[in-house]
Amino acid sequence: MTSVNAQIKRGSAELAVLTLLAKRPLHGYEIAKQIEAQTAGVLSFDMASLYPMLYRLERKRWVKAEWQTLPNGRRRRCYRLMPAGQKQIAPLRAEWRAFFQALQTITGFQNA
Amino acid sequence: MPNWKQIVRKNLRVLSACSPEFTEELAGHLEDSYEASLREGVPAEVAFHRTVSQIEGRRRIWLVLRFLQEDFVTGFIRKAALPGLLTFAASAFVSYAFLLLTYFHLKIIWPANGQILALPLGVWCQLCLLSICGALGAILSRRNGGSRLHRIAAALFPSEIMGTAILLVYCVGFALSRFVPDYAWGAANEWKLLEPGLLGFVILPAAFLLLGAGVAEGVGNSPSRTSPQRTSARSEYSGQ
Repeated sequence: MTSVNAQIKRGSAELAVLTLLAKRPLHGYEIAKQIEAQTAGVLSFDMASLYPMLYRLERKRWVKAEWQTLPNGRRRRCYRLMPAGQKQIAPLRAEWRAFFQALQTITGFQNA
Repeated sequence: MPNWKQIVRKNLRVLSACSPEFTEELAGHLEDSYEASLREGVPAEVAFHRTVSQIEGRRRIWLVLRFLQEDFVTGFIRKAALPGLLTFAASAFVSYAFLLLTYFHLKIIWPANGQILALPLGVWCQLCLLSICGALGAILSRRNGGSRLHRIAAALFPSEIMGTAILLVYCVGFALSRFVPDYAWGAANEWKLLEPGLLGFVILPAAFLLLGAGVAEGVGNSPSRTSPQRTSARSEYSGQ
């Protein structure tokens, strides 16, 4: 059985971001909004949680940030998933699944 | 439209000093947030206050702490502490080696006045070499992507260490003189001991370390050193 990482909470947030970025590059605000919209507000990131995490992912070279100029002339820092980050999605999913299974065994609740 | 960059800089001075890039990114986030509120039909004033509240009060403290925590663990060590330690090692080596070499060398060549010459020459050469160490720290910090604050901290690291050590010794001596009867370090001598220590080991070296860092900064920014390739690489890094 896959061992559950002690920092599962952080891992789950990282998984959410990496999964979103696997679809297309996004900038910080878009990431926060999409997570909030897709989870109907259950999961939400404020700036203090989102950006330090994005910077951490960038340092690990799981994502790459690049400044892009939008059609309206504004500059935004877009995050793109890197191959190293892509490789992390499956193990993080496994950890998260193991966490839910363990919790389900104890509490008897059914996750969606 | 409010100037979000200015608002972020004003509210998060520490962060804007550490990372102008992060400041710009936060400003972009707030700008998007503000516009989204306007699109939802929220009045401009309410939208403004709602947006600004993301970097005010407890949220501001939390944001700064989280960023500094991340930055301290990796960024500060890479950008300031490691270059600073190298600067400290280089300056310690240079200081002691040069002092010894100068003293003994001059004593051999001019036995009569060697001692007189050795001290001033040794001190000035040490200080000049210290400016090279300061430049080394600033260059290393710059290479690791350090901001101006990081570069200054890295260049001044030897003085920071010496200053801390001297103040620590002073505080311990002061405490001992108060609590230990007949302690040799009398209260009258405390400042007399502290002043030359701070001047000779902290302030004067700091001035030369900073001088070196300043020269390195000037050389690094000179047009001849900034070829088109280097400019584009730096622009990509700093997001400019």
